[in-house]
Amino acid sequence: MKHIVIITLYLILRIIPADAAPIIVTDFRGKTLSFSKPPERIVCLIESALSGIYMLGAQSRIVGISANVYNESVFSDYADMDERIRQKKIPTPGNWDFVNIESVIALQPDLVLLWSHQEESIRSLEEKGIPVFGVFIKNSDDVYREILALGALTGKDARADELIRYTKQELRRFSEKTAKGNRPKIYFMWAQGELETSGKNSTVHELIEIAGGINVCGHIEQEHLVVNIENVLTWNPDLVIMWHNTAKDPKDLLQNPMWQSVNAVKARRVYEFPNAFLCDLWTLKFQYAVKMIEKWAYPQSFEHVDLEKEKLDMLKFLYGKQPK
Amino acid sequence: MKRYILYLLPIPVLVLSVFIGPSGAVDSRQILIWLAKTIFSYHQDARINDTLIRAIIWDVRIPRILLAFLVGGALSSSGNALQSMFRNPLVCPYILGLSSGAAFGAALALATSRIPVQLSAFVFGILAVGISFFLARTKKSVSVVTMVLSGIVVSGIFTALLTIVQFMTDPFKLQTIVHWTMGNLHHAGWEKLRSSSLPIIAGMIGMFLLRWRMNVLSLGDDETRAVGLNPEIEKILILIPATLAASASVAAAGVIGLVGLVIPHTIRMMIGPDNTHSLPICFTFGGSFLLIVDNFSRTVASFEIPIGIFTTLIGGPFFIFLLKRLKVGWDI
Amino acid sequence: MAIRVENLCFSYGERPILKNITLDISQGKFTVILGRNGSGKSTLLRLIAGLSEPDTGKITILGRDMQKLSLRERAKLIGFLPQQHRPVFPFSVEDMVLTGRASYISLMPKKQDKDKTAEALERVGIIHLKDRAFTELSGGEQQLVMVARVLAQNPEIILLDEPTSHLDLCYQSRLLSLIRELVNQGLTIIAVLHDPNIAFLYGDEFIFLKNGAIQPLENSQKPWDMQVLRHIYDTDFQSVAYGDKNLVIPLTSM
Repeated sequence: MKHIVIITLYLILRIIPADAAPIIVTDFRGKTLSFSKPPERIVCLIESALSGIYMLGAQSRIVGISANVYNESVFSDYADMDERIRQKKIPTPGNWDFVNIESVIALQPDLVLLWSHQEESIRSLEEKGIPVFGVFIKNSDDVYREILALGALTGKDARADELIRYTKQELRRFSEKTAKGNRPKIYFMWAQGELETSGKNSTVHELIEIAGGINVCGHIEQEHLVVNIENVLTWNPDLVIMWHNTAKDPKDLLQNPMWQSVNAVKARRVYEFPNAFLCDLWTLKFQYAVKMIEKWAYPQSFEHVDLEKEKLDMLKFLYGKQPK
Repeated sequence: MKRYILYLLPIPVLVLSVFIGPSGAVDSRQILIWLAKTIFSYHQDARINDTLIRAIIWDVRIPRILLAFLVGGALSSSGNALQSMFRNPLVCPYILGLSSGAAFGAALALATSRIPVQLSAFVFGILAVGISFFLARTKKSVSVVTMVLSGIVVSGIFTALLTIVQFMTDPFKLQTIVHWTMGNLHHAGWEKLRSSSLPIIAGMIGMFLLRWRMNVLSLGDDETRAVGLNPEIEKILILIPATLAASASVAAAGVIGLVGLVIPHTIRMMIGPDNTHSLPICFTFGGSFLLIVDNFSRTVASFEIPIGIFTTLIGGPFFIFLLKRLKVGWDI
Repeated sequence: MAIRVENLCFSYGERPILKNITLDISQGKFTVILGRNGSGKSTLLRLIAGLSEPDTGKITILGRDMQKLSLRERAKLIGFLPQQHRPVFPFSVEDMVLTGRASYISLMPKKQDKDKTAEALERVGIIHLKDRAFTELSGGEQQLVMVARVLAQNPEIILLDEPTSHLDLCYQSRLLSLIRELVNQGLTIIAVLHDPNIAFLYGDEFIFLKNGAIQPLENSQKPWDMQVLRHIYDTDFQSVAYGDKNLVIPLTSM
């Protein structure tokens, strides 16, 4: 009798599918989401998270994206990776700021990705029983956390680990060559204006630190601020790095009479990130931004480094993209 | 006596402002040595950082000081002129939609990145005023009440258009637009000063020449006509330079509030309503006022705070203090 | 003939105010316009002053068609004292009166204009108020300031709309004496007065308006005849002889 019970239990347990292990993730608000199996219809309204999903190879689950994916600046990169995007077939029920709740619901998603501060939209969707994962990236740890969470959500845990390992390895490879003393002073310029920069507690600050530089605004606690030009002149940065800027180029700064006394301008060490997609600080691609800054900051140490090759290698590893 | 002080006020304010800046930049001693070196060739061998001081004093501070002064003076004088024209001391230069039009023009330029921002703001500011004025015209006369009403309507329309632009643009551009509107003297340089000083000075000259006629006009349309001036023509003649100067100011420095409303009152309280004196003194006092406020905003924090905040926080209580101390002296 | 009015008509929208007015005003005399409230007196005065435009009709001033005069030219010929002035800004009396010189000033007043201003203030007897704020004065003093403003304008014809309405007896008699002085010096003065007695005591010629039309006198009638006044004012009076005129006193129940 005992044997029959044990054999029956054993058979029952064998029949129950093995992957009934639930998925549990905590989003950046601190809310816990759980799924019995990976969601299959994902609406992702954050472009940087979207690129992470492509890196994981899980793009087939995407049924809705944010409208800015179709913008000039990133469109061609996504179009190369996904025919649906090239034909503009994926619906865009929202953007970085505005979410059309009805359109999201019409797509029947089982997971929606939004910025964690979009409280009203999140509440509307959760009220209707749709799980929302809120995102907020402040530094590189947050980037890793996001990729791990996305990996768990899409069942691509292994790939997520692989991506993180690769990123950390690449960063180490470069940081070995940066000097410990004599770090160059760097002023970072956002595209909104010459005097818009970031202080401590920002992705930019961390970026500069990792790359072996000193943020001239590093003593100011604000994440994003407008500084007085006199201060910039007094801080006298050795390098000026511009975020990708459609309205201004380094040569505009080099010709600006107000900046002539700055070391960076005198030595013509003003650089601009060529492309927002390639160095998106909210994704693992921030490693490329780090590499670029390191090469500009330590030209001798990185003389033989070919940034173009680094870029292509990175794109191949992250997205499986073949060079054109 | 009071008048002479007010006329001469700009000189010490302008000079002292050169020495004011964010702490951590150059100090006064170094500036004095640099000035002695450059102007009088004393202390040739003094060890100071010439390039840095020159960059800060000549490239940064002086244009910003001059621009703050011009803008403050222009907005105050425009306010004075329009208050006479509208026979109403509650009027400010933005009453005919100027600020909404300029803000929309700037937003459009910033969002599309195809037209120069300052020019766009200037043109749309003037356009808004022109539309308000022509909407209010009936046959031969322009009633001031109708003008105010059409100003409100035009203002509303441009604000709605501005909202549309803000709505459709990405977060970075939106931030730039909002920052522009709040007031942006911190971008002042010789280039901006050059492009804005021409319309501002032209407007000032126009208003200056017409200042006695403002006395006549402010007595009323019938009273003006009876003594031989055409009130409709006088209104246009005053509106044009006032709008030129105010629009150029907003285009250069963003929307700075309260100055155009409060300074003319303050001057009137101090020296009476005779425009032959109050108009030029509005320029000198208003210019000095904005300059002092900007000096304050430059030094108070390590990051730039839009000047519009300070004009209200400082100007407001100052005005209330004056209201209580002096006699107000008008009947409405 | 100082002023000739021909076939003047004026309406506010649908309501006719003046119906086909034709009259002549003699030069060098004090002409008074009399009538009830709403008879169109002030409107007539405003039209002659050029502050409103008639619907039809022609006004000739000192031989010149009013339509063809520029504002400045007209201001040098005709001055107008409004019934009421509502001040907004506290200008000084001197600055107020100075604005009367606008037709002589291009951009800024000169010494000559300031002198004429002082003269006008002296004439009216208020030079001691020169630096006071207009808004601080009594109604009567304000009225006198506005009179000085018209004098500073130095026109040949002066139009006054109810100039005595806010004045006490002292100011009233001072103003009316001043008007007589000016008329004796050759000015033409036309006033709307509400009190027929004052009119008869000081005026030379009289115009009666009833319901927007001129009421002509028959050959034998005098302006102060009871019949005339009863018709104009729709009320009964007692009359008191005064020299060769009559003064009228309203009937009381006593």
